[in-house]
Amino acid sequence: MTAVVRIAGVEKVYPLGKTEVRALSGIDIAIDEGEFTTIAGPSGCGKSTLLNLIGCMDVPTKGEVYIEGQPVAKLPDRDLTRLRLEKLGFIFQSFNLIPVLTVFQNIEFPLLLQGRWSRAQRQEKVASLLAEVDLVKQQNQRSSELSGGQRQRVAIARALVTNPRIVLADEPTANLDSATGERIIELMKNINKTHKTTFIFSTHDPQVMRQAGRIIRLKDGHVVPEQRS
Amino acid sequence: MSSDLAQFRLIAAVALRNLWLDRLRTFIIGGLIAAGAFLAVIGLSLLLDVQASMRASITQSIAGDLQIYSASAKDKLALFGGSGFMGRADIGSLPDFSPYKDAVISHPNVAAFVPMGLDMAVLSRGNELDDAIDSLRVALKGGDPGIVSGRAEQIKFQLEQVKLELAARRLLSADQAELDQQEKDLARALAPDFLALGATIDEERLQFLETKIAPLSGEKLPTYLQYIGTDIAAYKANFPKFRIVEGTVLEPGQRGIMLSRKVREELLKNGVAKLFDKLHKRIVKRGGKIVGDEENQRFAIDLSKQYQQILSYLDRPNAEELSAKLAARGIKDENVDLVQRLSQQISAFLTVDDSNFLERYQWFYEHIAPKIKLYEVTPGQTITIRNYTRSGYIKTLPLKVYGIYNFDGLEDSDLAGVLNIMDLVSFRELYGQMTDASRKELDAMRAQVGMKDVKSEDAEAALFGDVATDSTTVAVSPSADDANALDATQVLLVKPTLADTFDLAEVQNGLALNAAIRLKDPSQQARTESELRSDLEKRGFKVNIVDWQQASGIVGQFVNIVGGTLVFALIVIFLVAFVIINNSIIVGTLNRTREIGTMRAIGAQRSFIVALFLAETGITGMFGAFGGAGLAVAAVVAAGRRGIPAANDVVTFIFSGPRLYPAVHWQIVTLVPLLITLFATLASVYAARHAAKVQPADATQEKE
Repeated sequence: MTAVVRIAGVEKVYPLGKTEVRALSGIDIAIDEGEFTTIAGPSGCGKSTLLNLIGCMDVPTKGEVYIEGQPVAKLPDRDLTRLRLEKLGFIFQSFNLIPVLTVFQNIEFPLLLQGRWSRAQRQEKVASLLAEVDLVKQQNQRSSELSGGQRQRVAIARALVTNPRIVLADEPTANLDSATGERIIELMKNINKTHKTTFIFSTHDPQVMRQAGRIIRLKDGHVVPEQRS
Repeated sequence: MSSDLAQFRLIAAVALRNLWLDRLRTFIIGGLIAAGAFLAVIGLSLLLDVQASMRASITQSIAGDLQIYSASAKDKLALFGGSGFMGRADIGSLPDFSPYKDAVISHPNVAAFVPMGLDMAVLSRGNELDDAIDSLRVALKGGDPGIVSGRAEQIKFQLEQVKLELAARRLLSADQAELDQQEKDLARALAPDFLALGATIDEERLQFLETKIAPLSGEKLPTYLQYIGTDIAAYKANFPKFRIVEGTVLEPGQRGIMLSRKVREELLKNGVAKLFDKLHKRIVKRGGKIVGDEENQRFAIDLSKQYQQILSYLDRPNAEELSAKLAARGIKDENVDLVQRLSQQISAFLTVDDSNFLERYQWFYEHIAPKIKLYEVTPGQTITIRNYTRSGYIKTLPLKVYGIYNFDGLEDSDLAGVLNIMDLVSFRELYGQMTDASRKELDAMRAQVGMKDVKSEDAEAALFGDVATDSTTVAVSPSADDANALDATQVLLVKPTLADTFDLAEVQNGLALNAAIRLKDPSQQARTESELRSDLEKRGFKVNIVDWQQASGIVGQFVNIVGGTLVFALIVIFLVAFVIINNSIIVGTLNRTREIGTMRAIGAQRSFIVALFLAETGITGMFGAFGGAGLAVAAVVAAGRRGIPAANDVVTFIFSGPRLYPAVHWQIVTLVPLLITLFATLASVYAARHAAKVQPADATQEKE
């Protein structure tokens, strides 16, 4: 199977005053297409840093990140942004919906950024996802009028609307009660199965970890030898 | 809908919603921009209106669209003052303006060339007793005993007043011997047989009155008249605001002067009438009061002391009639002496306050003004003008006053009203140039007294030595070439007997100090000015060419000053707006880091973030600017209906009338808000770029 994400010898060091903080060190990972992978570990272990590197939101201090075989560490900001738009989807812990837009507009937003879809195409895509995440009735509401679970479903729909190869989710259930969190993971899993979308999400919740097809454990910036379920 | 348009709509929608969410900030920035737009639209509209009205005031009264004068001028041309010593600017001269005229008039955009000169002279005049004695002379020449008797009685009545003045003066004067002599002279004039009818009023007595008695009535302060000399026909054709309000217009070819109504009102009107007028204007027209207004109070106090200005113009019958009328309206005095009684009565009448002013003002013009000489000069009268020529000698010229004129709409303007207008030939003579007429006159006088030219090297011999001369009078000339200079010194001795007409050809060439150039298309003024300058330079003419604004002196700079102030105020407002806009965006960026980071994370380029912030400022700027401009239009329309009143005489001139009626200038109303919107948008580029530096990873900033 082809690795959609490959991380080779990555280090990430942040300057902190006159000293440095080594967030990640010696990371070598390959994630295949269609995997439902979680990055697990305690707070401060480097989960978000690793997700940011995979999500092209940050660049490694050393080493290389390959997305579908393309090295991204030295890409300019414009190309990284384009890559995020075309190949990646993001689900945030705090949902990160744009507060002034409706549910429909939030989901439509990435399509508008892509700039190649007609209105009808956009409506069709958004409508399909609204049905999939069961938010048809709420499509004209603003995010402030939704529950946490509904907001995260909007975020999932927004992440999927461009039909990305990889969806990254940073602690997607951390701000949800356990039942809702379970439903969200279930939804993500269903989409993973039906769309063959690669899901990579971070969590420190053992219950969520159990849903993952693969667990990559991090400790103090290093990968702990992994186990596959 | 195309995707670009959809993206534009997305940006607009997000921007609008963000603006609404942060209403207070939007309101402050929008309000500031609206205030700036309001001020800019109102200010620029008024500036255009004022510029147009000032242009009308200036170019329709005495200045052309362009003005030409000698390059050797020591002062700048300032038609409305502000240049030169004592208001007498040295702007050089164009010894013969005709070649300049030919050159200028050949330009296709030049409609007219009006030669002019601006100068100042003293109006010679006597006191009230001089006037009365002159009238007696005229009456004696007429030979009507009734009229002679009337004039003599008036003089006697005036002499009684002088007697009282001398008595009062004795209490104050240190030179009692002089007063003794004056009283002795006065006693002679008051003797019953001195002004008796018949042959007893001879030349000796008239001269005694003129030389010994008239000076006792005091001397009037000299009156300085500013005047322009011009080609009357060309002037009338090119300055439409000129209008005769009394008398007749000075016709081309006639020597004479037309006095400005304002000059006559201010300088040549009876002192009482003048004070009444001033108070009337300030109280009735401007709604002021005497009580509480220092200047009005000063005028009122001055008025109460001016009884002599009425009394000295009255003869006994009129004085008795006035005394009776005043008594009938309750202003009585028990003194049996008419002069003393009437003095008290008039003083009481002239003591005004807020309760009686209007009624006294009307009564004065109804009952007193017809009995006195309201103006010192009236059309038809010949006045004597005395000037120091540019060579330094005194030139005196009698000039008939043809009419009193106004500039339409500028009736109350001090600035436009200071200039009197005379023919160019008389102007040249007062300026010191020998004209054909004065040269002939001088020749006649020299022949009459047997005067001959002698070269300077022969002068001593001619005066004291052996050189035989057959004349009794010798004029010394430095050389034959300087004959004109010698002629000039002799003008002092000439008793003017100049003809009251001249050949029209004389004003088609010869001396002028400056010239007004009227353009066919004033909008091409700058180009025409530049072309004329270059053309005249090529022809070897050394002249200054200035536009109407520069030619008008300090007054013309008013528009520039107001414009500069307005621009300064706008710059301050927009700098403040600039700082607030930038600060608010930068602060807003801190509050919106997660939102911006999210957009960046899901694929928004930096340019999208910049566009979003520019859109927010652009929308605020557009609503603010067009809102402010809309309010300004409403204000201009309201002001245009009612007119903005001119607060004083200077503003009357600037407004070209008593009120300015502003108009809506749509090019300003549309262009200014667009420029302000553009400015506001561009002003936020820095801050927007700062916002676009937010990293996508900042979308997750609350973690780790």
